[in-house]
Amino acid sequence: MKQRISPTLVHDGGKICCAACNHALAPAGQPWKRHAALSAVPVADLPGAGSGVNRAVLVRRFACPKCAALLDSEIALPEDPFLDDIVAA
Amino acid sequence: MDPITFSIIRHRLFRVVEEAVITLKHVSGSAITNEGHDLMVSLYRADGSLLMGGVGFLHHLTSAAEACKAVIRRFEGQINEGDIFLLNDPYTAALHTSDIYLIAPIHHAGKLVAWSACFVHVFDIGAMNPGGFAPDAMDIFSEGFSSPGLKLVDRGEVRQDVWDTLLNMVRGPEMVALDLRSMIACNNVARERMLALIDKYGVDTVDVACKTLIEQSETRLRERLRELPNGSWQSRQYLDVKGEVYKVVLTMTKQDDELVFDFTGSSPQSKYSLNCSKWASLGGLFAPLFPLLCYDITWNEGVIRPIRMIAPEGTIVNAARPAPISVATVGAIQSVNNAACSTIGKMLAASDKYADEATAVWHANHFAIFMFGNNQKGGLSIGILTETFAGAGGARTFGDGVDIGGEIPNPISRMANVETIEATFPIRYLFRRRLKDSGGPGEYRGGTGAELAIVAHDAPDGGIDYVLSGKGSGFPMSDGLAGGYPGGVNDYVWVHAPTDGHNADRFANSIEAIPGDKEPVSWGVFPLRGQDALYVRWNGGGGIGDPLSRPAESVLQDVINGVVSAEAAASVYGVVVESGRIDEGRTKAARLAQRNARLATEAAE
Repeated sequence: MKQRISPTLVHDGGKICCAACNHALAPAGQPWKRHAALSAVPVADLPGAGSGVNRAVLVRRFACPKCAALLDSEIALPEDPFLDDIVAA
Repeated sequence: MDPITFSIIRHRLFRVVEEAVITLKHVSGSAITNEGHDLMVSLYRADGSLLMGGVGFLHHLTSAAEACKAVIRRFEGQINEGDIFLLNDPYTAALHTSDIYLIAPIHHAGKLVAWSACFVHVFDIGAMNPGGFAPDAMDIFSEGFSSPGLKLVDRGEVRQDVWDTLLNMVRGPEMVALDLRSMIACNNVARERMLALIDKYGVDTVDVACKTLIEQSETRLRERLRELPNGSWQSRQYLDVKGEVYKVVLTMTKQDDELVFDFTGSSPQSKYSLNCSKWASLGGLFAPLFPLLCYDITWNEGVIRPIRMIAPEGTIVNAARPAPISVATVGAIQSVNNAACSTIGKMLAASDKYADEATAVWHANHFAIFMFGNNQKGGLSIGILTETFAGAGGARTFGDGVDIGGEIPNPISRMANVETIEATFPIRYLFRRRLKDSGGPGEYRGGTGAELAIVAHDAPDGGIDYVLSGKGSGFPMSDGLAGGYPGGVNDYVWVHAPTDGHNADRFANSIEAIPGDKEPVSWGVFPLRGQDALYVRWNGGGGIGDPLSRPAESVLQDVINGVVSAEAAASVYGVVVESGRIDEGRTKAARLAQRNARLATEAAE
């Protein structure tokens, strides 16, 4: 039985899976982002960025490597670790 | 207690607070109170614990409880009927010196039975910069007077020596006096209405109802927490001042019926005044918790009991005296608000039952511009541009955020109309409107922020000056959820007019149309004089979900409505708009290309 983790992720069969295609990303209860497809874009390159935006700050985008559904995003400087959200199975 | 009587008393307690808020606004003469609703009124038990939290800035509910307890400790044996105490020291309980608490004991038949407390951001506090925010302060000693507790009213009589001393230390003493009198009136009304309630139902019955109300809140919040999944959720906020970057880092852990907010990893305290004290951080995390988790639960001590905070000493979220702290409310406290909003939103989104209560982060960064100078009426004006309270709604899991839709920590925040501000300050607005591309992209878009530009107008001194505490122009702070992007950032631009005498476009309707050299500014005191202009934009709310999943028709409407650019429609949403219509073929190709590009990226590992 599937258990919701977020609008884009579920627990299924002891694994964290993409809610759209059920692709397994990581064991339940473990960080999953390092198993996602990651792309990053500088905030300064997004439409509407202000004149004072830090040139280094990124929007990290984590997508399902199978179906390309966008699973999560976060703001980060390059040297900072991923934000890991852990939902108990 | 029979449920009918309990329900009536609960409702009456809320109405006591409501009526006290109305009184506060009726007596106060400042825009920040009446227009921005930078205020709070609440009731407390005899021991200082929160009984009935009111509206206004919610991070004050727990801090004012601590203020009550500090007064109880300091004035043991000297708390009399009709007294009113003042406290504004951030290292004792307050958030920053400008937010003065007036705290009044409520006695019945000679016995202390409750407290009322309120605050307003006073007109001035005697800090190095007018209005109270002191971005250049090196320590709290430059941030105005700060009292860990003093008796302002003794048995119903204002202590004139104390009153005169306070007003001797501030600019615009007549306005500060009005602020203080509004809070005295507010507390008087709260006391009268509370005593009327006790007279009608009896002190013992009201006491039982108050105890029951707190127990009920605790029980209901614990039940709710047990319904939510166990887990831990993280958030990170960046603040920037003069090129230095600070972080507020939060891991929120929920286990069974308790929540722990752990700020370990946050930056060491700053030499700049964006720090906050531990009481402020506690209040800061409760500000989103009250409306997001307790929207149908009375906000009182019962809500506080299941919550624990870890805030390492000496960090930006638990600064040590005498670190400067005057910008806290729009600095570290607001980032604590945002981080807590983000983690609570993610926890709610993990629940089938409560997913619809989840939200991305709302307007995450007050721009907090305080203007000061002589006005067109021959007086002194000090005050905030109340647009800082206008906010922007974060997206929900079922819909877009509300454009310029307020903010989570203050359910009644709002902004003044342009004419009110122009009547208060010698300035003129060139424009004020929703800001394109400021709402965080997502399947559900964050609400937009806005932009404005002002010039000096009819100013006896040729203009006016302003204090800018503009952390956050470097980093987005309104986080998205589940793939949604963050809302846009704040921006502050000083437009230096050309000096050829033919420089002023009196009707410029965009930043591009204002002639002159454009200098980004963010921290300090700056002039607005001559033909120069100040351009400000404020951040939008975060989005939720994949922007490529947003219906193309919705994106088209956003473009038509001027809240999303055609460039963003194509590059972020993958929707190609030409001549006011969707190019279906190119849109399908663009979205497919963007998805394929995601698959072409490496796994993060």
